[in-house]
Amino acid sequence: MRGLAVRALAVRTLRRLAVRLAGLFSKARRERELADEFESHFQLHVEDNLRRGMSAQEARRDARLKFGGIDSAKESMREGSTIMMLETTWQDLKYAARGMRGNPGFAVTAILSLALGIGASVAIFTLTDNLLLRPLPYREPRQLTMVWEMNHSRPAQIRNVVSPANYLDWKARNHVFESMAVFAEGRSAFSDGKRVEELDEQYVSAELLPLLGVQPFRGRLFTAAEDLPNTPNLVLISYRLWQSWFAGDEGVVGKQIQVRSRPGTIIGVLPPGFYFRNRTTDLWEAMGLDPARDYRLNYGRYAMSVARLKPGVTRERAQAEMTAIAKRLATEFPQFDTNWTVNVESLRDSLVSEVKTSMLVLLSAVGLLLAVACANVANLLLARYTARRREMAVRVAIGAGRARVVRQLITESLALGVTGGLLGVALARWAVLGMLAMAPLDLARNLAIEVDYRIVLFAVAASVATGVVFGLAPSLVASRADLTQGLREDGRSSVGGSGSLRSLLVGAEVALSVMLLAGAGLLFRSLVGLQAVDPGLNPARVLTFSVLIPGARYREPVQRTQFFKTALEQVERLPGVESASAVSFLPFNGMSAGTDLTIAGRPPVKPGEELVATIRTVMPGYFHTLGIPVQRGRVFTAADNTLDSPYRFVVNQSFVQKFMAGEEAVGQQISVAMDTRHPFGEIIGVVGNVKEGALDQEPTPTVYYIHSHLVYTGMVFVVLTKNDPLLLADPVRKVIHGIDPAQPVAQIQAMDAIVRETFARQRFSALLLGGFSLVSLLLAAVGIYGVLAYSVTERTREIGVRVALGAEPARILAMVLGSGMRVVLAGAAVGLGGALALTGLLKSLLFGVKPHDAATLLAVVMLLIVVALAAAWLPARRAAHLAPVDALRQ
Amino acid sequence: MDKRQDVWQGTLALMALKTLESMGPLHGYGIARRIEQISGDRLLLNYGTLYPALLKLEQEGFIASEWGVSENNRKAKFYKLTRAGHTHLKREARQWEEATDIIARFFAPEQLP
Repeated sequence: MRGLAVRALAVRTLRRLAVRLAGLFSKARRERELADEFESHFQLHVEDNLRRGMSAQEARRDARLKFGGIDSAKESMREGSTIMMLETTWQDLKYAARGMRGNPGFAVTAILSLALGIGASVAIFTLTDNLLLRPLPYREPRQLTMVWEMNHSRPAQIRNVVSPANYLDWKARNHVFESMAVFAEGRSAFSDGKRVEELDEQYVSAELLPLLGVQPFRGRLFTAAEDLPNTPNLVLISYRLWQSWFAGDEGVVGKQIQVRSRPGTIIGVLPPGFYFRNRTTDLWEAMGLDPARDYRLNYGRYAMSVARLKPGVTRERAQAEMTAIAKRLATEFPQFDTNWTVNVESLRDSLVSEVKTSMLVLLSAVGLLLAVACANVANLLLARYTARRREMAVRVAIGAGRARVVRQLITESLALGVTGGLLGVALARWAVLGMLAMAPLDLARNLAIEVDYRIVLFAVAASVATGVVFGLAPSLVASRADLTQGLREDGRSSVGGSGSLRSLLVGAEVALSVMLLAGAGLLFRSLVGLQAVDPGLNPARVLTFSVLIPGARYREPVQRTQFFKTALEQVERLPGVESASAVSFLPFNGMSAGTDLTIAGRPPVKPGEELVATIRTVMPGYFHTLGIPVQRGRVFTAADNTLDSPYRFVVNQSFVQKFMAGEEAVGQQISVAMDTRHPFGEIIGVVGNVKEGALDQEPTPTVYYIHSHLVYTGMVFVVLTKNDPLLLADPVRKVIHGIDPAQPVAQIQAMDAIVRETFARQRFSALLLGGFSLVSLLLAAVGIYGVLAYSVTERTREIGVRVALGAEPARILAMVLGSGMRVVLAGAAVGLGGALALTGLLKSLLFGVKPHDAATLLAVVMLLIVVALAAAWLPARRAAHLAPVDALRQ
Repeated sequence: MDKRQDVWQGTLALMALKTLESMGPLHGYGIARRIEQISGDRLLLNYGTLYPALLKLEQEGFIASEWGVSENNRKAKFYKLTRAGHTHLKREARQWEEATDIIARFFAPEQLP
C-alpha cells in the first residue's frame, strides 16, 4: 500500500513537472488556450444571463464584472505554469547581475581573480598533460626503454650515445627485451631533381619502426635484408613531407629521389603525426650496420638504442641484467669498455626528465596561485555578505525561507565562479600560445599542444567548486547570523564572526604569495647570474648557418676543404661582413664530438683513464670571428689549411689546466684519435675557454683541428657582421647557391639567440613564476585593502569617538596600519617557513644561488611588506582624516 | 505570501473538487455557477479566480480536462475528477470536517450560559 502511495506521489510529481515543462516550452499555445477558455466562459455566462431575461448589453456587462480582471487571472495562471525553480534561479541570476553592476569593483576583482587563477592552472595543466601525463603514441609505450651507455669516470654523462659494437652484443646476449633497435639522427640534403632542401633524418635499424608499433600509411617499412651495408638507398618519408612536398601524390611510393646527392627510392609514408624523439624528422633510412665488422676498432659511440621490455619484466630487472652484461663486456674488451656500463631508462623519462622539474615547479606554483585566487574571492564574498547582512535579515523577516536566502547567495557565487571559469579557459588558450613562444626549444620541439576536454572539464569543475565552496561558507555565516541583530545593526561597530575568518584568509594569501615570490626571486637571481656568465665568446652580430655538402659529389678531401674556402672568401667579400669562418660543431648547440688523445712523452694510460677532449675542426679566422681570446702562441692561418701542412693543434685553457698541470703547452706534441690517421702534431696556441652546451656547466678540454686535417662535410658558418646579422641571411644563401645551385643552406640563426637558448629553461620558469607571483601579490594587496577598508567602515563610530577624545591622526593611522600589519607579518612568517620547505624543489634550476638564500628571502619579505603597507595606507588615511562629527552622526 | 488568499484558494479548490464529484464533467463556468448556487448565493465568487485553482488541481493530477461541446453547442473545456482526485477529495473532506469540528469545539463553550 505504502509503496503504491509513494509511486502515486512520484507519478504525480513527474506529471506536474511535465505539465509545467510543457507550459514552459509551448507558451504561445498555452496563451491561446487560455484565451479560448476565457472566451467560452464569457459566452456561456452571457447566454445564461440572456436566458434569465437581461438585455444583451446588461448580460455582457454582468459577465465581465463577475469574471474580475482578466489580466490578473491570466497572470496568476502564468505563474502557476512555469517551473518555480527555474524561475527563481533566473530571478536570482538577474538579481546577481544587478548586484554586480551596482558594485562593479567587487565583481570585476572577483571574476578577474578567478579567471587568472583558473586560466593559469589550465594553461600549466595543459602543458603538463602534454608533456608528462599523456601516453606516448606508440604500442604499449610503458614497455619502451632507452638503453644508454654510461661512464663511471664522467658522472655527468648518464645518457651517453652507444657504440654499435656494444649494441650488437647487448642484443645478442640479453633475455629481458622482446626486441632492440638502434638509430642515429642527422640532416640530409633531399632532392627531387627540381629543388633541394636539408631535412632532419633518422637512420634506423629495421627493428625500430615495428618495435614502436608503427604501421606504414602508404607503402612498406624496411626489411632486415635492406638494413645491411651497400644496399640501395631506400627512404621512408613523413606524412607532413608527403603533403607539403608531394601534395599527397598517391604515386609517391616508388618515386626516384636523391638523398645526399645519391639516387634513392621512396618506399613508404609514415602515418600522420608519427614522430620518435624529434617531431621535425621527415626522412628515415635504414642504418645498415655491418654484422661482420668490428665496430670497436675504428668507430666510437654515436648511436642511440631503444628496446621493448618483455611482458612482465620490470625496468629494474632489465637494468640488473644489462649491468651484468656490460661488466662482462668490460672484461672482454678492456681497451674499449673499461668503466663503461649501461643505463636503462624508460622512454618517457628520457624525453621529459629535463623539463620534469620545471613542470613540477610550475604546477606547484600555479596551485599556490589558484589557492590565493580562491582565498581572495572567498574574502571578497565574505566582505560583501557581511555588508549585506542587513539586506538578508530583511529578506528573511519578510518571509524568505533560510534555504531560499542561501540558495540565492550560492547562485550569486556560482555566477561569479562560472564567469571567472569561462574567462579563465579563454585566457588559458592565449597563455598556452604565449608559453610555447617563450618555451625552451627542447620542450617545444616535442610538443603539439592541444587543450583537451578533460582540462576544460577540470576548469569548469574548479570554478563551480569555487563558487559553491566559497559561496557556501559566507552564506552559512550570513544565514546563521542573528536576524534581529542584523536588523538592529546600523553601522554600529560590531566585529562579526566573519572578521577573523577574513583575516585568516588574508594571512593565507600573504603566506602563499611569499612562497611564490621566494621561488620567483631565486629563479630571477639565477637568470641574472647566468646572463652575467662570460660565455667565452662574443655572440653579438654573428650570423650562423649550416652547409652540408654531399660526400658523393665532393669525393676528395681537398675538394671539400676547397668548397668551404671558396664560400668563405665570397662571404667575406659581401658588404657588411667583417670576417667569416666555419666550425664543425657550434658551441652551445648541444652536440659535439669527443675522443681520446695522447700527449707525447707520457707513459700510456690505463684503460678507462684516457684523456678525453672535445674536438672541433675549424676554418681559419674562427677565433677572431667569434671573439675567442688567444692566450698564448698563435692560431690557424690560411697556410695551415692545406693537405700537406704539418699537423698542428690549438687547445683551450681548460685543456692546459687539466692535462698539462700548468706546464707550457705551446710546443708540446699530441695525437688525437679522431681519424684512422692521427699522427702527433704540435700545439701552436692556447685560446680561452668557451662554455660547452650550457652556461651553467664547466668548460671541457677542447682540441681544435684545422679543416684540411680533419675534413667535415657539414660545417657551421659563423659570420661577424657590422649591423643586424639576419640582414645577411639572403646574401649568404645567394653566395652558396652561386657556387652550387643544388646546395641547401639550413638553420640560419643569430649566434646570440643560440646562446640565449641555453638558459631558456631558467628564463621560462623565471618568467612564469615571476608572473604568477606578481598576480598573487596583487591579489594579496587587494585582500589586505579590502579587509582594512571594511574594518574602518565598521569602526567609523569608534574611531570618531577616539578622535573626539583627542587621538592624533597619526595615532589612528598607526592603529589601522598596525592591525593590518599583524595579519601580514603572521602570514609572511608562515610563508617564509613554507618557502624554506619548498624552494628545495628548485635546486636543479638554480645557478649561483642557494635554495635558502637569505638575501632573496629577506628581499621578498620586504617587498611584500612594502606592498602591504601601500595597500593598507588608503583605508588607514581615510580613518585618520575622519571628521569626528560626521563619524558620530553616522 | 498572502495567507488569506492561500486559504481561500484551498477552499475554492475543495469546492471545485466536490462539485465535480457530484456533478460529473463540467466546464469552468458551470463549476462557478454551481458553487454559487450551492452557497445559496452567499458567496460572491469572482469567476476569474477559479481558473488558477483549476490549473493547480490539474497540475497536481486531481482533475483532467478536455475540450468538448456544451449543452447549448458551445466549445468549452470540460474538467473531470481523476482517481487521484477522488482520493484527495476524501482525505481533504475528512481533514476539513476535523478542522471545523475542532474550531466548533472552541466556540461552543462560550455559548454556554
